[in-house]
Amino acid sequence: MTAGIRIEGISKSFGTVAALAPVDITVEPGEVVTLLGPSGCGKTTLLRIVAGLDTPTTGTLTIDGDAPVEARAHKRIGFVPQSPALLPWRTVEANARLLQDVNKAANPASLPDVVALLEQVGLAEFRTAYPHQLSGGMQQRVALVRAFALGAPYLLMDEPFAALDEITRADMRHLLAALCEPLNTAVLFVTHSLPEAVYLSDRVAVLSSRPGRIVDSVDVDLARPRTPDLEDDRSFFTIETKLRHLLHQGVR
Amino acid sequence: MNKQRPSLWATVGLIVFGVVWELFVRIGEIKPFALLEPSRIVRALAENPTFFLRITWSTAWHTLIGVGIGLVLAIVTGAALAAYRPLEWAVQPILVLIMVTPWVAYITSIILLLGAGLPTILFMVSFVTFPPFVFATVLGLRSADVSAREVFASIDATPFDVFWRLRLPSALPSLFTAARFSVGLGLAAAFFAEGGSGSTVPGLGETAKRTQLNQTLGAELLWGSILCSTVLGIAFLLGVTTLERKLLKWHASQRLTIG
Repeated sequence: MTAGIRIEGISKSFGTVAALAPVDITVEPGEVVTLLGPSGCGKTTLLRIVAGLDTPTTGTLTIDGDAPVEARAHKRIGFVPQSPALLPWRTVEANARLLQDVNKAANPASLPDVVALLEQVGLAEFRTAYPHQLSGGMQQRVALVRAFALGAPYLLMDEPFAALDEITRADMRHLLAALCEPLNTAVLFVTHSLPEAVYLSDRVAVLSSRPGRIVDSVDVDLARPRTPDLEDDRSFFTIETKLRHLLHQGVR
Repeated sequence: MNKQRPSLWATVGLIVFGVVWELFVRIGEIKPFALLEPSRIVRALAENPTFFLRITWSTAWHTLIGVGIGLVLAIVTGAALAAYRPLEWAVQPILVLIMVTPWVAYITSIILLLGAGLPTILFMVSFVTFPPFVFATVLGLRSADVSAREVFASIDATPFDVFWRLRLPSALPSLFTAARFSVGLGLAAAFFAEGGSGSTVPGLGETAKRTQLNQTLGAELLWGSILCSTVLGIAFLLGVTTLERKLLKWHASQRLTIG
């Protein structure tokens, strides 16, 4: 078995429009890899292909040696969409438990404790609240807990903080890093935010504008655990600047 | 509280309506079968409450069971239609035909087919309420949030799980809208089918029909049945609204505050 997410020569065309040029990326177990790119570069398309929600035009893709369909059936991937996509008729806790309740046969032997996770993201007192009673940031925290509650080794996140204000957004990336690190969860993260990419990632793949291809792959060798004061560090800026230049280079 | 007191004005409106009605009948010397004074209708109800309660109860059950059958069949059909487009295209025109054809036009033929009595009554009620429920189901099942559908797909949820945990709850708002319209329609169908020639199943429609055929029974019986059907219609609407408030408290339509 080849561990990790192996993406080899994956491309996608919609009719005659090439959305994604052939791309190769690997996400090792426990590694956080970010796809950074301008709007419409195909990064979301790539993530959806990995999640098994879309089929590639060319290329091969394995998750721990299996096809995405297999990984899905065995609950080895957790998907966090752009919008929280909470079920409005379920309470916060019931929403957080949703993916544990569905396809139960595929649950791992020991499931993460949903209540403990809700506590960790500061929502302990909102367990019985309904989504409409929460702010956008709180809703997205529930969506994160829902994904982490799967206990899956891989999480796929599609710009989950895109709709949030800057301050909430910063809080969310700090929270996400704090959730990932102790569990050693591998994450494939899609964003167009530079601070998010630097703060969360072990590696950042910068994509060009459509059809997306990888301009460069940058290792983020900042120490873990990551803490918010890191964002004032010179090394953080250095990587951020490098990524910005690559991003501009890809747009031209 | 609203200082303009809408409920007070509603009461005033109803009282004025009753007084005008009473005066119109008395001054105009209208025949009782054409229109009876409200005071005499209320007196008739007060004199024989058990009888009216019994026939109202009977019609209530006919309507509820008929609407229930229509609803369940509609959810099953709607689920199939929502899942398979060609089936939807094939069935949609039939449903439209059922909806636009006045059911009073063919009810006599249904009586010939099924016989006067319970089978016809239940068939008519479920038949006329079926199409609106199917349309509401298809629309509602399809309205399920796309991102939520993808979250379900990402863990290989079974079609039943997606239906039960996501699509059906998403269909509740449109089903309730249809229900508000269907209970009135179902009540009318029950009333009319009960009055079908030869039916001996007790009910408001049967009583009304009997008095129309045999006027010596008195206009009180006819107008008492009519008023009872009004009260029943209101009770159904209140029931649907209460259930809607309870089951849809999460839905934007049921929230009073903005934010």
